[in-house]
Formats: sequence, C-alpha cells, structure tokens
Amino acid sequence: MDTTILVQLVINGILLGGVYALAAIGLSLIFGVSGVLNLAHGEFLMLSGFLVFVLHDTFQWDPFLLVALVAPLFFLVGYAFEKALIRPLAARKEHVRLASAVLVTLGAALIAEDFAAFFSQDVQFEKSVDLFLPTLVIGELYLPSLKLVVFFLVMLLILALFLFLKFTFLGLAVQAVTQNRQGAMLNGINTTRINAIAFGIGTMLAAAAGGFEVIHSYVAPNIGLPLTMKYLCVIVMGGLGSFVGVALGGIIIGLGESIVGFFHPAWGQTVAYLLLVGVLLIRPKGLLGT
Amino acid sequence: MKTRHVLLLSLLAALLLLPLVEAEARIYILQIFIFLFLNIVLAQSYDIVDGAMGYLNLGHICFFALGAYSFGILYNAGLAFPLALGLAVAVVVGFAGAISYPFFRLRGAYFALATFGLVKLMEHITINLGWLTGGSNGLKIDPADRSMPVYYISLAVVVAVILLSWRVSRSRLGLAMNAIREDEEVARDFGVPASRVKAQALMISAVFPGMIGAVYTWNVNFIDPNQVYGLKIALTPIAMALLGGSGLLVGPVIGAVFLYLAEELLWTHLAHLQGAIMGLVIVLVGLFMPGGLARLKGVAGLLGWVGWLEEER
Repeated sequence: MDTTILVQLVINGILLGGVYALAAIGLSLIFGVSGVLNLAHGEFLMLSGFLVFVLHDTFQWDPFLLVALVAPLFFLVGYAFEKALIRPLAARKEHVRLASAVLVTLGAALIAEDFAAFFSQDVQFEKSVDLFLPTLVIGELYLPSLKLVVFFLVMLLILALFLFLKFTFLGLAVQAVTQNRQGAMLNGINTTRINAIAFGIGTMLAAAAGGFEVIHSYVAPNIGLPLTMKYLCVIVMGGLGSFVGVALGGIIIGLGESIVGFFHPAWGQTVAYLLLVGVLLIRPKGLLGT
Repeated sequence: MKTRHVLLLSLLAALLLLPLVEAEARIYILQIFIFLFLNIVLAQSYDIVDGAMGYLNLGHICFFALGAYSFGILYNAGLAFPLALGLAVAVVVGFAGAISYPFFRLRGAYFALATFGLVKLMEHITINLGWLTGGSNGLKIDPADRSMPVYYISLAVVVAVILLSWRVSRSRLGLAMNAIREDEEVARDFGVPASRVKAQALMISAVFPGMIGAVYTWNVNFIDPNQVYGLKIALTPIAMALLGGSGLLVGPVIGAVFLYLAEELLWTHLAHLQGAIMGLVIVLVGLFMPGGLARLKGVAGLLGWVGWLEEER
C-alpha cells in the first residue's frame, strides 16, 4: 500500500492521541491518588468546552486565551467536587467505597449531561469554535496546523505536569500518596488535602482538553460518558500509575482509530475497546503497569 | 404456616391473579409490572456477583442485551419460543464463562473499568455486525401483543432468581463467594478454588438477565443497540441494587421496586430534566445510604418480623 497514506494516518493518529492522553492523564492522576473511578471526568471536559464556546460566542475572544482562562477555573471545580462528593466516602470499606464513588460520580455525570442538554436544547447539538488556520503541506503530506498547535500545547501541559510532579514539594507529595497512602500520612503529608488537589489538577487537565476539543472538533452534551469510557480504556491499557504508559496508551488508541477508521470507518470507534480487552488478556496490569 | 409464608404466598397469589382482572388499561398495567419484573431480575442477579462476591460488574447489562439479541436472531430463524429462549440463555452463559477468565484476572477498580468497557465494545460489535443484528437499524420480530404470557414468564423468572439467590447464599459456593469478598488471598490459602468459584458465580448471575432479555425481545418486538446497551438501562439496575441494600437477599428487590415506582409515578411526568433528577437520586444514594433502604431501622425491623427476607447473601 501507499506509504504516504500510512505516514499521513500515523500523523493524524498521533495528533488525535495527544488530546486523549491529556485528559486520560488527568483521570489517571485522580485514580492514582484517591482510588476513585471518576465517571464524571468527561463531563468536566464537555462543560469546559461549552464554556469556551459560549465565551467565544459572546466576547469573540481568542479561543486559546479562553482555554487558559477556563482551565484554572476548573481546578476550583474539581477541588470543590472532591470536597463535596468524594471526601464523605473516605471512611467506608474498600469495596463499598468503590461502589459509592461509582454511584456518586455517575449521578453527577447524568446531572451535568442533562443540564447541558437542557440549556443547549438538544442532546446531540454540536458546538464548535470557528477558527481557521491554513493547512501545512509538506511534499504529499497534509498537516492541519490547528491540530499541530493543539498537540504542541498538549505536550507542553504534560511536560509542565511532569516537572510539577518531579520538582515541587506538592508534586512529590502527590506521588508519595499515589505510592503509599499510609506512608505518606506518617511522614506528615495532609493526604486529605492532596486528594482534593489531585482532583483539581485532573479536572483542570480535562477542562484544557475540553477547550481543545471545541477548537479542533466539537462538543455535545452527550459526549461525556463515552469519552470517560475511552479514557478509562487508555489508562487501563497504559497501566495505572504510569504517566508514560498513559501517554503511550492515548497515542496507541489514537493511531488505532485513525488507521482502522480509514480502512473500515464503522470499526474505528471500536478500536479502543477491542484494544482494552486485548491488552488485558495479555497483561492484566496494562502495558507499562507494575 | 408461619406469618412469612402467608404473606409471601398471598403476595404471589395477588400477582398471579392480577392479569385476570378486567380493566380498561389492562395492557398498560401489565406492561408496568413487566418492566418492574425486568428491573428486579437485573438488580437481583447483578448482586450475586457484587453483594455476595464483592466484584463490581458494570457490564452486567451485556448478558441482558446478548440474551435479547440471541433470542431475536434465533426466533427470526424460525425456532419455536421455548427452544429459542433456551438457546439464547445457553449463549449468554457460554459468553459469561468465556469472559470470566480474562476479566477475573482483574480486581477492584480494574475489574469495574474493564467490564464498563465491555458494554461499549459489545454495543459497537452489535452495530457493526449488521448482517446478523440489523446494525443500528435494530432487529424486528413478528409483532404481536404477548403481554399475558410475558407477564407470567417474567414473574416466574423473578421468583426463580430470588429462590436461586437464596439457595446459593446457603451453599458451599455462596460461602466461598463470601470468603472471596472478604479477602481473596486468604480464601485461596484456605483452599477455595477462586477462579472456578468466580466463573460459576458469573455464569449463575448471567442466566437470569439472559432469560429476561429474551423475554424482553419477545415482548417489545423490536430492539436496537442503543436501547439494550444504553447507559441508562446498564446502570439503573446497579443503582437499584445499591439503593435497596447490596448484600441482602431482598435488598435489590426493594431498591428496584422503590426506584422504578418513583420514576414511573413522579418524574416521567416532568417535561424536562428527568435525567438530572435520576442523577440526583443516584448521587444521594451513593452519599448517604451505603447500607441501602433495607438496612434502615424501620425497614429492617419490618423485614425481621416477616423473617427470611432480611438474610445476608
């Protein structure tokens, strides 16, 4: 087959996978620290996308600037979300806590979706920001500049998170709690506060991804839960607790969707779930999990 | 006869006689009960794996959907109703057995995640295998009003799932499942064949949703992927089981009756935000009632008076 097409598909897949990786890393961070499966993660992405859309629609500000303004706001949203809904569950038995966290975050997801649908009048009403950048053409390859810019920003954010976790006290505390909660507690780390901070950061990353989604494709009220499930596939594939693994998982799923979607459009969306089950058959702890 | 026998038998008799009552809206009333039975079966069979064994199977609805589709396909191929039903259940149980090995290598949140992913995977596969399933256009069987037989079969499945849950809870298998819930490593060390027990539990919990899925197709005459794999139908039974009281024999039944009636009587009449109210209820269940309705003081006392019902799995 034609190599140009293959290279083009690989590029598209990587550009697609970058945004998956960003939101999935947020979800993985939350799970690693608090042990909670946050089924409302995709809803924050959707809500932030809508917020960017509405602000852009009203004030005509630059959408990238709006993402930079909206994302920190969602740090507070995530922080408050943890405080109000997740913290009360902390004292419960392991298995009961998992079940109640699933219920609480799922309920929150349903509420968010229904309100978004209510205010935009239609579940499938797609909103996107009108922004056009010329496509770069190198030889026979087409590089959509908008997606390139987004991919660059995504990488920048992931790098920033990496540096934060590696070189700041707070970041090290987050890692310590992920590795060993009791140990961190014994060393004087306020684990309750770290939980809320991890939720804040994770939600902020989802919000940034939401802003990017609305810039280079679209958001709709009903995209939240399916996206959450896709991110769950990404983090399970990569292995929980491994950021490199999650980034890799995101890129692999992006590549899979792009390549399979080209040859068999109907099966493109199935790839994430097929890969999930396939990887679990071979490596129950994910690709890079320990 | 003890009080509990009298109570339960009179409840059963009332349900058996209900379709014979002549009323204007008879079919409508029957359908309400049929969907109530459907929810009870899904919630109760879900709790065999969660309540008794401590595994959060978010993909329980796959068994229902697979039963619905297998039945539809076989029935359209010209098989008689009982044969198609039996084969559909066999397909579902075989499927449960097949997925139990890879999925039960996972624990806790991983297991919940993977089974949640399974729902989407199955939905996509169903949509993409259009030649077999009709794809996103759905699957039709020859339409007819079968409310009467469907009502009785559903009722029978409800009774069967409750009796079997009770039977399992008192068996060696039930004991092994409880041991796995409390501590799987210790259970293994004491000689519980964990993999086999988990596979058996999953297969038992798959029988009834498979059956009720087949009956569902037979009743509504038309199914499509969105309808049988949808998030609402996938997650409501789980919310019901946890609302009623996971781990208690009668908990999921109470949760199903309560949530279904609340939905049917209250907020289906609202024009907007039905989903948000459903979500709010689910949030509140998660926040305030880890033990569920059946463990509330008044309810628990009442159940204790009747006897048998309040038993743990």
